[in-house]
Amino acid sequence: METRPWLRTARARAQVRLWSIFGEPLWIIVNMGFPIFSSLAFSLLYLSIGAGSYVGFAVLGGVMVAFWGNVLWSMASNFNWDKQEGLFDIYLTSPASITALLVGMAAGGILATAPTAGIVTVLGWLLFHPVVSPSWPAVVLTFGLTLVALYALGMTLSSLYLVYGREAETMNNVIQEPVSMLSGMYFPSIGAFSPFPFALQVAASLIPLTIGMDALRKSLFFGQGVEGLWLDLFLLADLAVAMLIASAVSLDALERKGRRDGTISVRIR
Amino acid sequence: MNPSSSNVSVEAQDLRREFKTKAEPVVALDGVSLRVREGEVFGVLGPNGAGKTTTIRILSTLLLPTSGSARVMGFDVASEPEKVRHVINMASGAEKAGYDFISAKRNLWFFSQLYGLAPSVAEERISELSEMLGLTKYLDRKFYALSTGYRQRATIARAFINDPKVVFLDEPTIGLDVMTARSIREFLRDQARKNGKTIMLATHNMAEVEAICDRVAIIDRGKIIASGTPESLKRSLGAPALVMEVSPPPKDFDFLTSVPGVKGFTSATDEERGLSNVQVVVESDRAAAAASESVGKQGLKVVASWRKEATLEEVFVALVGRGFKEREEQGGD
Repeated sequence: METRPWLRTARARAQVRLWSIFGEPLWIIVNMGFPIFSSLAFSLLYLSIGAGSYVGFAVLGGVMVAFWGNVLWSMASNFNWDKQEGLFDIYLTSPASITALLVGMAAGGILATAPTAGIVTVLGWLLFHPVVSPSWPAVVLTFGLTLVALYALGMTLSSLYLVYGREAETMNNVIQEPVSMLSGMYFPSIGAFSPFPFALQVAASLIPLTIGMDALRKSLFFGQGVEGLWLDLFLLADLAVAMLIASAVSLDALERKGRRDGTISVRIR
Repeated sequence: MNPSSSNVSVEAQDLRREFKTKAEPVVALDGVSLRVREGEVFGVLGPNGAGKTTTIRILSTLLLPTSGSARVMGFDVASEPEKVRHVINMASGAEKAGYDFISAKRNLWFFSQLYGLAPSVAEERISELSEMLGLTKYLDRKFYALSTGYRQRATIARAFINDPKVVFLDEPTIGLDVMTARSIREFLRDQARKNGKTIMLATHNMAEVEAICDRVAIIDRGKIIASGTPESLKRSLGAPALVMEVSPPPKDFDFLTSVPGVKGFTSATDEERGLSNVQVVVESDRAAAAASESVGKQGLKVVASWRKEATLEEVFVALVGRGFKEREEQGGD
């Protein structure tokens, strides 16, 4: 695999995402709606039950739910849409690396979601003054690793959704809320304060977002440093690598199967 | 022209492709062999469902053959797809092939990057191709805002963005207005003549084949039933077709098949005028006279009749006994 064409492909795909999002300002506003309002709702809930010191959990949840929404709707479903429109054929008949396209899609997605995440943070800060006690190196490292693991999950889903065809959107609807709940987007879903039974916590830990959210809360609100979070970071890195490998392997297998069975590039029109 | 005497760009040997279905396997290609020379515009002509798209998909590495082999620029499409992909490109008239919310130019730039083109080379190619295809004025328009014709021009530009040696096109002018279709055909012909591109075109548009193809293979139910230059195929019919307007419209014209020298026919009914129009492919003038006579014997009146120079559709009719439309109604493959 040649490095320069790989990087050009990834960069171009990221660029397309940014042009698409920032070329249509209405999309930015639409994308902000859910994270802002869900964050607002949970913040108010914390305040109304007299747990105002935890309002930061809800603000953080709003930030991360923006990325999770982007992973689901603009990353996981993307190849399936591309397939329906005939774009996937173009990718496959070119020498471009499909993984490079996914990496570009992820990088573009992160950058395109950053304004939403930023606005949720600023609004949350201005409205609720959450109490933070950050260990910045740990916050930055955890946040970065969580995004990598989360978008790696998106890459894996993207390849799986190619198999499910038009049911991808239904799949998104099916998993969006359960994953938000299990991963503890707005409250701790694993550890001593989790409302879930142990078995469910173990299952939830397989979602990269769960470990990421937990580690982010520990580092941002309770000042835990990298040394105290090494297990979380190690697990996050493991999950990210596992997802990336799963994505590459499944795409490769899917392409071979598709060429054999004639299922890889079925167009709706 | 003998394809074996020149450099061969595309070569297929006994290609067969089956698709599994719940009922029984469907044979989409049944022993297709062909050779396309460098710099040639080669048409694969046939009704819908004949196997044209399957052929293109195998040659462009999207599909594996069930058996048989194919090579593009010397690379095996089944075992060396990565090498094939460096020297080809493809486009389909049915594809949307672009991101709606970015401009045509940015779309073309994106696709150029799939081939790793350096930015300056990509710019140059976009500007050159847009100029040739009359797209320059519309490059900054968002893709969704382009008319069907300009979107297809952009699609064709995309198919040449990497300066490919072989381009596979599937119904590239389907649904386009006459002027756009003509300008795309001229572009394709120039790319083959002046730049030595090999263009393989799957189409059911006979006018397109006659306008730009050096050679054509006629395909029906997964088999190539004839190939050669459009002129040689038409000449092979021997006599001009007989066209008759018949009143009242009969249930069918199947009685014509028993007339000696009749190779096949196509018919259509004009409800408004209360007439049937039947085109009969005949091997001689005597057969034409016999066909006309047989209509009278059925108690039908020949309102008007004339002879018509053969087109590729008549060649198809002569080979399978029916026209494209009837073949598609029969279920193609």
